[in-house]
Amino acid sequence: MSLLYDTWYLFVRALTKLIRTPILLFFSLLQPIIFLLLFTQLFSKIAAAFPSFGGVSYLAFATPGILLQNAFSSSLQSGTSIVDDLNLGYVQKFLVTPVNRSAILLGRLCCDAFRVVAQSLIILVLAYLLGFSFTTEVPGILAAFFLIAYFGFAWSGISLTIGLTTRSAETVFGLGGILTFPLLFMSTALVPAKGFMPNWMVTVSSYNPISYTVNAVRDLALKGFVFGDIASALLVITGIALVTQAATLYKFRKIVS
Amino acid sequence: MPDIIDVKDLVLVYGDGTKAVDGISFQVQENEFFGFLGPNGAGKSTTIKVLTTLLRKTSGSVAIAGNDINSDSAKIRKMIGVQSQETVVDLDLTARENMMLQGHLHQMRGDALKKRVDELLALVDLTDVADKRASSFSGGMKKRLDLATTLVHGPRLIFLDEPTTGLDPQSRAAVWQYLEKLNKEGVTVFLTTQYMEEADKLCKRLSIIDHGKIVANGTPSELKREIGTDTITLKIEESGLEGQSARAKELLQQTKGITEVLSSDDGLTAYAKDAGFIVADIVRSFDASGIKIASIGVSSPSLDDVFLHHTGRRIRPEEAGQKPAGRTRFGARRPTRQ
Repeated sequence: MSLLYDTWYLFVRALTKLIRTPILLFFSLLQPIIFLLLFTQLFSKIAAAFPSFGGVSYLAFATPGILLQNAFSSSLQSGTSIVDDLNLGYVQKFLVTPVNRSAILLGRLCCDAFRVVAQSLIILVLAYLLGFSFTTEVPGILAAFFLIAYFGFAWSGISLTIGLTTRSAETVFGLGGILTFPLLFMSTALVPAKGFMPNWMVTVSSYNPISYTVNAVRDLALKGFVFGDIASALLVITGIALVTQAATLYKFRKIVS
Repeated sequence: MPDIIDVKDLVLVYGDGTKAVDGISFQVQENEFFGFLGPNGAGKSTTIKVLTTLLRKTSGSVAIAGNDINSDSAKIRKMIGVQSQETVVDLDLTARENMMLQGHLHQMRGDALKKRVDELLALVDLTDVADKRASSFSGGMKKRLDLATTLVHGPRLIFLDEPTTGLDPQSRAAVWQYLEKLNKEGVTVFLTTQYMEEADKLCKRLSIIDHGKIVANGTPSELKREIGTDTITLKIEESGLEGQSARAKELLQQTKGITEVLSSDDGLTAYAKDAGFIVADIVRSFDASGIKIASIGVSSPSLDDVFLHHTGRRIRPEEAGQKPAGRTRFGARRPTRQ
């Protein structure tokens, strides 16, 4: 019981802090919004020229990818907040209360998930205004948001582990920058693999975990519930989550006890 | 009644091999105002971290209200309040939100919590700014808010790690007032400080800690008495008579208990143990000799002198100028020899 309550109160705290520093939200939304407005114009004719885009507009093709890109870069910032909480003494202040230890981490993760979903909603509304739509409608959007949030949760573990280990926000930020671009562009987030990328990159992309999630979300937006793709996305995300969050938990336990 | 804090042979060695606490033992009774006095790096904060369950001791035993620090830590956390050396208040939250969060983490809910928060905000004079974000607060206000957050759940025992370091004299005096009030209400206070004046004013009993070891224990007056030498300063009325000053000096030297007499332009200075008891003897013998006393004063040794006595060092030589009122240099109080 105390786990639920404590997680809730720490989630509310994290969320309040986030809302009160809107500049952070602004900057993390800036990149996906620029992608959405600029890339969909820049590549609009490519989608028509290459059959590998599946005969849909570039906006329709890229929006799921941009949603994932947003989740990916937001989750890689997750560790910076825990670094602040550690270095400013908040974690220590929590630890001398009877608070459930896991709630300190869970409250943070819930806030990150909430943030990714809220940002995704903003991006989705913008995309709708530009002419995008989800063929699976509300159930599909809900399923897609679940996948996106779960994806964010899995990747946040990397940034949390780095944050807990180095206690340096700069390192966490730097890592986010280094990982985002290669992983994003060598996935099927913004362009199709087969029939567009060079062969070696098709191979890389087929191992890239981002591709799996993008494909599943793209199916939900353009085709319908393709359970095979959703299942493999869930499998890949779960695999990453197990590794990254186990590492986070290990590092966190070392600090807590 | 068992001691609320019972520490025996506590040792803490950090991962890098630094022995921060080197076999200390002490007890604190319920409702006592107990102090740890020592310079930076003496082991004060480390001891607090062990006593508040944040650091695991290397060896020795620690019990808080009869609960073992390792096996009953959950029980201990419910009854203690901790203010760390750095001020920890969430700057993005309002004063009230900071308080409510702390209460929630202590499993307090509803109207009881709201009422408690209002009371405490009033206690630390933050009612007017209760709904303003802490980022707009001055250093003193943040420190007071931090103190209030440690009290939300009504702890029996509070640990304060240098609660007034970095505060202006006015805020410092305000914090002292709150602490005395709390102690009167029955809260046991464990305080660390590097301010002599603070330890002297607040603590009923204290330990002096240096290099991870306790070098002295006792009430401030006991500690000061232990090193002896109070100072008596005396001035006689000029009567024009020859040799009066020399006679006065002679009389002082004959007074039982006085160890040393020096004369200077300002008058006479004598050193003695328990000078308070000797003053009457001096007055009587001067009276019998017909020497009129213009003024006579007694000053006790400060805790600064005590620290010097036990460690051979000043507590903060590099910051002597910042020390609160009073003499800062031992030698400065001695008049020049003629």
